[in-house]
Amino acid sequence: MLTAIITGLAMGAIYAAAALAYNVMYSTSKVLSITTGHIFMISGVVGAFLIGGLKLPIVVSLLGSAAAGILFGLITEIVAIRRVLSRSDEHLWLLSTLALATIFQQAVGLWWGTEPKPFPRLIPQQFTSGIWDQKFWLPIGTVAVSVICLELFYRRTLFGKIFVAVSEDAFAARARGLATDRVRAISYGIAGLLGGVAGFAAGQLTYAYFALGLSLTLNGFIALAVGGLGSNLGAVVGGVVLGLLTSIATYYFGGAYQQTIAVGLLLVFLLVKPEGLFGDKRTRHV
Amino acid sequence: MNSNLARLAALVIAVVALATLPFWAHDPYQVHLATLIGSYWVLVAGLNLVVGYTGLLSIGHVGLLAIGSYAFAILAGQHGVNPYLAMLAAGAIGGICGFVLGLPSLRLPGFYFAMATMAFSMIVSEFLLAQDTLTGGGAGTSVPAFTPPFATPNGLFWLVMLIAAIVTWLTWNVARLMWGRAAIALRDSDVAAASVGVPVFSIKLIVYTFSGITAGVAGSLFGSLQSYVTPETFNFELGLFFFICIVIGGRGAIVGPLLGTVVLTALPEVVAPLAKLGQFFYGALLLLVVLLVPEGIGNLFAILREKIRPRRLEKHVVDPDLARLTSAIRSTPVS
Repeated sequence: MLTAIITGLAMGAIYAAAALAYNVMYSTSKVLSITTGHIFMISGVVGAFLIGGLKLPIVVSLLGSAAAGILFGLITEIVAIRRVLSRSDEHLWLLSTLALATIFQQAVGLWWGTEPKPFPRLIPQQFTSGIWDQKFWLPIGTVAVSVICLELFYRRTLFGKIFVAVSEDAFAARARGLATDRVRAISYGIAGLLGGVAGFAAGQLTYAYFALGLSLTLNGFIALAVGGLGSNLGAVVGGVVLGLLTSIATYYFGGAYQQTIAVGLLLVFLLVKPEGLFGDKRTRHV
Repeated sequence: MNSNLARLAALVIAVVALATLPFWAHDPYQVHLATLIGSYWVLVAGLNLVVGYTGLLSIGHVGLLAIGSYAFAILAGQHGVNPYLAMLAAGAIGGICGFVLGLPSLRLPGFYFAMATMAFSMIVSEFLLAQDTLTGGGAGTSVPAFTPPFATPNGLFWLVMLIAAIVTWLTWNVARLMWGRAAIALRDSDVAAASVGVPVFSIKLIVYTFSGITAGVAGSLFGSLQSYVTPETFNFELGLFFFICIVIGGRGAIVGPLLGTVVLTALPEVVAPLAKLGQFFYGALLLLVVLLVPEGIGNLFAILREKIRPRRLEKHVVDPDLARLTSAIRSTPVS
């Protein structure tokens, strides 16, 4: 039971990180990118490749993973978002990010293989340490630190306030002389950094697996919808709730209906409280 | 009149060529491929109304296809129901599942709906794996063939073509007449459509249920063609494939998605290196189409014609009667 709770917390931390990455990208571009989960997948695979394949030191591999995440975030913005947003307000971004996600997922599948491969140990530790195993505490700790850093960045630095300004009202921010396009690109880079570091830390739990992206995209979105779109606190709470619920349900009923329970949670929230726990009610534009 | 005649002739030639395909095809595999395309098209035609006309981004239709296949396999294979009845039942079950899925999820905005359909396809494959007494679990289940006169591979081909033609005709009627107009209005602006009296939610629900029925029928044809299905057959990538067929072919048309289905199914078979790339190739194609020709390849010629020789815009010169206007403004009492 204790293992189930710890597993749930650790998975919840990853879902929360995915929901946060959604939030960071959504705030400046009003786009929910399907590539969100793929950031984690790419950083996990790159990390496993750098440590296991090239035998690089762990710090260098962490930097490499983070760089891969940032690069992927920037590629998403340049290829899939920029042109589409400048052209129309239709939901074309959904198609372009879906296409980009498919391309990267299949490219990784072709290069890395379609089997999940284990992620190397980061800290020397026995495999018998149970709930104190690093594969649980690394993602929880990393995500906790990144949430705090993100909040400090948004609230305490001038640069962070620019992001808040753009997310509040892009037109007003533009009128005050902010380069909203560049801010949007940087926010995709930040989401990439967040996903890159979290994906690297969570590698031992999720494995380096090419199909991880899509499931994280879905589960991160569920966490986001539960917590409320646009709220970072909501993203964390939603992620933890989702992680705990699925892992405890797996503990009692077995793993066969994991996804069904997660989606059930999503549907309940969308029907009862569509704006989520901490989301703000937005009026619909006509 | 002349173009109508030419169109009719082209249609007749296409029908004759397709109907006699088993006689002039080089090997049985080509007939198999044509049957596969046909059974995909039965689903894509229904999905086209959802994606192309109503503008709902359903990426998880493969779940409904799986339900149709398994319903057919269980009814006809395990319970010995007449395959044709089982096919109708599979269509009905697909329709019911589409209805039940659409009831909550069609109220959601774009991205939420796409995620809900994707989750639905994942749930279906989870159920197929978990209910192993009924579906055979991960090992899969065998799907029976149809009874004579459609028992042979060629017979199945004709059956699929017949059903594909019926479904195409149905969707053409729907798209051309009131429902299709309402759906297009709804796709372009749901608020504007609602304000002129289009029942937004019920149109969405009806179209989605119809696509569920065609998906169920397509599932039984597809399963019978494959003769053995596993949950792995109905992976998410297949659902994405259907979706990509429509988007690449062009939204709001029937010929475009038809061409998309034919080309995308046949291309990896004809060009061997593409088969290895598989989904990567589809993803790249989708990205290119979305970025370069968001209207779809089916509309490429119209766009090019517009670029090369733009339609002459009619000019209406506004020539107000200034004297009358000034007097009207002057005479208005200033309140």
